[in-house]
Amino acid sequence: MNDFHSVGPTTDFPDPSSQLVEVDEIAVVLIHAAGHFYALDDVCTHDGGPLSDGDLCVEEATPTIACPRHGAQFALADGAAVTMPATKATQAHEVKVEGGQVYVRLCDSHANTRK
Amino acid sequence: MTAIAESGFDTSAFEALLNDRTAEPKWLSQRRRDSWKAFEQTAWPNGKEEEWMRTDIRLFKLDKFSSAPAAQPGSAAALLSHGVELGGRIESTNGRTDLSELDADLAEQGVIFGGLSQVAIEHSDAVEKAFARGVVSPTYDRFAMLNDACWTGGVFLQVPKGVHIEKPLHAISRLGGEGAADLSKTVVVLGDGAEATLLMETLSEDAIAAGLHNGTIEIVLGRGAKLRFVSLQNWNNRTWHFAHQKACVGREAQLQWTIGALGARLAKVNQQVALVGPDAEAQVNGVMFTQGKQHLCYNTHQHHEAAYCRSDLLYKAALQDQSRTVWRGMIKVDEAGQRTDAYQRNDNLMLSKDARADSIPGLEIEADDVRCTHGSTSGRVDDHQIFYAMARGFTRQEAVRMIVTGFFQQVFDRITIDSVREALGEAIGARVQDLPNQ
Repeated sequence: MNDFHSVGPTTDFPDPSSQLVEVDEIAVVLIHAAGHFYALDDVCTHDGGPLSDGDLCVEEATPTIACPRHGAQFALADGAAVTMPATKATQAHEVKVEGGQVYVRLCDSHANTRK
Repeated sequence: MTAIAESGFDTSAFEALLNDRTAEPKWLSQRRRDSWKAFEQTAWPNGKEEEWMRTDIRLFKLDKFSSAPAAQPGSAAALLSHGVELGGRIESTNGRTDLSELDADLAEQGVIFGGLSQVAIEHSDAVEKAFARGVVSPTYDRFAMLNDACWTGGVFLQVPKGVHIEKPLHAISRLGGEGAADLSKTVVVLGDGAEATLLMETLSEDAIAAGLHNGTIEIVLGRGAKLRFVSLQNWNNRTWHFAHQKACVGREAQLQWTIGALGARLAKVNQQVALVGPDAEAQVNGVMFTQGKQHLCYNTHQHHEAAYCRSDLLYKAALQDQSRTVWRGMIKVDEAGQRTDAYQRNDNLMLSKDARADSIPGLEIEADDVRCTHGSTSGRVDDHQIFYAMARGFTRQEAVRMIVTGFFQQVFDRITIDSVREALGEAIGARVQDLPNQ
């Protein structure tokens, strides 16, 4: 199992916001919305767009982040593709806050393929 | 030797580099300064540009790398020269030449073959003339500017008119140490009727050290010249690889250019072939194998500037794990390029459901009497083929390896140099894993 990596103090991530962070050489978008932190692969599974440049939609029943290129939306909680043109989930990662620091642990599929 | 700044490519590191190279001709120092100035005033490419839309370099941090020399020459074994009788060879580590040899009879015939840094001092006029051609624009983008300002390594080959080099020439570039960088320029100039074979390859000394390669390749073929050029990129999977490569093929000249792309964390390569004289011919072969989280992006460009020229491009890629390839190919035919015969094809074999291949062929034709075609395929391994092989005693992995080898056979058949064919086949065979259930 991967380790948790510190990505910065909570004060670096205002609510609401989304920001690119690097975790073990993987581009991750760290999202702070409605009091919760989320971490997703910073890549749209449709066309590879950077989700960290997209808009947050936190008013909906399922909070999402939208790809800036074609508008595909991904659920913050699990990375599921909520709207077209994306049909495949982007990878979600575990987040925890301890001592005022935000930590991200990459999902195991990344650990298995980093060579 | 003066030590270069420990890390980064800042102004002080650049000045240290110049201080270390006071023997260089003045025109070259000035050229470096001009390019450095342009570099400082230019931003990195970003994902809003079409060329970079599918290649994310936001995690690339130049200050993590240094162009400092290696502590000791590299020793990782070459693949392409195994069992080959060479006419000359060059070895370099972190962009510094460790060894340079050329058969005496070739030197007597006027052949120049050596590390570019040394040749630029000993044959300044030849190098200045080659640079002045501007085959690769030093201001194309920020990577080209950085390369033009800070290159330390590379190969210079010049073959005089009518000289045929029978034995292949070989050059290997190694990267050693965490944060090592290889900034190099390779220049190949063949005079009218000259012939040569040049094998180039790259290797990392270990599998985990992060590295950077930023290079250019410039090839100029005179009338009726023939070049077989092989470039095998085999860095480790923590190396960033950026390259601008271009060949200008003259009247009745022939170029066979084979690229092997196996390594790199992220590779972004622009490969161009310009057919600048009538009846010129170019065959371009590409073999790509990716695994893990590798991302390889190759932009190819076949530019027909003259009439009666032929170009034939075949790129084949096999992808494992969550790796990704991007191939953007363009055939451009100028109005003068009547009777052009051009072809481009890209085939992708998906060995994992999480791998992704983007294949984007394109045509831009201004002449009205041409034959230009292109094609692209992407698919998975056929389960029936695996079942068939396993029913005859092969293990599943042997079956997959056999199918992958068969997939590449079409491009291997076009490679006329045995050592290259064998090296690519072995390197790919060693990388093939068992196929996950799809």
